[in-house]
Amino acid sequence: MSWTIDEWFVIALARTIRPRETVFHGFGSPCAQVAMHVARRTHAPDMTLVEGAMYAVNPDPPFIPPTSNDASLSRGAAYSMRFEEFFDAAIRGDVDRMFLSGGQIDGFGNTNVTAIGPAGRPKVKLGGGGGGCNLSATIGALTLWTTRHRSGRTLVESCDFITDIGHRTPLGGRAELGFTGGGPQWLVTELGVFDFRDGRARLVQVFPDVSVADVRTATGFPLEVAGDLRTVAPPSTAELATVRSVDPLKVRTSEFSRRELDRAFERGDGQDCAC
Amino acid sequence: MSLQPPGDKRASLADAVSLVSDGATVALGGGLSARLPMAMVRELVRQGRRGLHLVGSAHSIDVDLLVAAGAVRRLEESYVGFEQDLGLAPAYRRAAEEGSIEVAESCCATILAQLRAAEMGLPFLPVRGVRGSDIARLHPEYAEVTCPFTEETLVAVPPLRPDVALLHAPAGDRYGNLHLEQPYVLDERFAAASAMVVATVDELVSTDYMVASGVTIPAHLVAAVAEAPFGAHPSSCYPRYAYDRGHLREYVSAAQSGTADLDKYLATYVNGSEESYRAAVGAGRLAALAAWSRSATAWQELFT
Repeated sequence: MSWTIDEWFVIALARTIRPRETVFHGFGSPCAQVAMHVARRTHAPDMTLVEGAMYAVNPDPPFIPPTSNDASLSRGAAYSMRFEEFFDAAIRGDVDRMFLSGGQIDGFGNTNVTAIGPAGRPKVKLGGGGGGCNLSATIGALTLWTTRHRSGRTLVESCDFITDIGHRTPLGGRAELGFTGGGPQWLVTELGVFDFRDGRARLVQVFPDVSVADVRTATGFPLEVAGDLRTVAPPSTAELATVRSVDPLKVRTSEFSRRELDRAFERGDGQDCAC
Repeated sequence: MSLQPPGDKRASLADAVSLVSDGATVALGGGLSARLPMAMVRELVRQGRRGLHLVGSAHSIDVDLLVAAGAVRRLEESYVGFEQDLGLAPAYRRAAEEGSIEVAESCCATILAQLRAAEMGLPFLPVRGVRGSDIARLHPEYAEVTCPFTEETLVAVPPLRPDVALLHAPAGDRYGNLHLEQPYVLDERFAAASAMVVATVDELVSTDYMVASGVTIPAHLVAAVAEAPFGAHPSSCYPRYAYDRGHLREYVSAAQSGTADLDKYLATYVNGSEESYRAAVGAGRLAALAAWSRSATAWQELFT
């Protein structure tokens, strides 16, 4: 059995979803989008999946298109929420998890999707945050992700602009800000997986072709490493087959640089796990 | 606020779009790759509209084209771009980096609260997020408010009442009743919060047909309706047609490469008329987009 980093990355994202959760991804998030369908078809069949910018509840799309509000994404759903129904549910605390990414992410899990450089005259104007600056306040838990960790420009000491809120901003922590959601719980990158202990990102898993030194070089905030650092568990046969069947157009690969997509892994016959 | 009186609201595309003044606050319907009011966007460019203040949630070629044509002064959108697939919005990005447009980036949920305040005639509504985010710094009009019951501190946001909402629907009748398919995005909220709705429809149909299929936006909110076949292209307008990824790629590539290619795009597709637009896109391409429902395979192949 062999697989590539995009497949393994999506599976690592999927594993952050717990059974029975109500989960949402924002637009322009193909890896998170595929991950939610993988979770629902493997370990979390009783999750409530709210599909991106269609707000379709538990759809079974025939494929994942390269845009987040194509009607193919609501196929098989008996109901699609209105925009306001989804936001109301998220704001009152009925959504358990959301996937969020950013051009910059700091050690508290604040993210920047607005601008690199000064906001008034940016060096790079990014697309913008969608609903994140309210949703990050009230949704139960956040899974953050980036596929650009190795660039050295993504995990930063401090964001040039805070769009979506992590565990602490210059104005205070989540409790002081009156936020009802739990904030970032996981940060998954193409190098490894972080949890948040005392509100700070901590490396808990690495992919097997990555060293702690590689992660440290690529990380702009002081790297904290868990005492029991592990290797990301390999995909099960079911997880891998599901990624491939959910995403025949391979939209997930659009998040990775070509160099990363060359990362391939394999496991010999007879060593398959019992999952 | 008064509702639109009943009557035959049919208008030519040019007359409908002339209801948008220079400097108006404009809400664009649809979002991302779905049901963008592109025929009206192209007509705004043809009419040389200037100084627009655009408000909305997550948008793409509609906003970028208006910025490219120099029609925009200020933006309050939550996102402008082409997602992971085609990336950053070239003209929007360039104008923001040069400082030739004012970008007061906002958040979907904040815009929703502001539209609801306008709909209800209230001076503000509170939101729970935003505090601690630098988005708040882009909006000096926000304030903090203490809840009289719980003593929580929340962010108070003022009503957002666009001068005009431009909405595209797959079908509507002569009186301005519109039928939409999901995603409605913010169209219903825009319709109720704006001073006026100007609409295009792929096809004008009878009121009986409208009642049978369901009226999403009622005539009493709509000031004018123009028939514009494929009026959302290159975005989708289900159940009629899927989005045209190839055309979006062509636009993004032209807008990225600079003035000469952008001018060529405008000359080929925009400067003429909607008839010449459809001819330039090609009847075969439009027919393929409209045939999305033949099979899941045909649908999927449109996006490869």
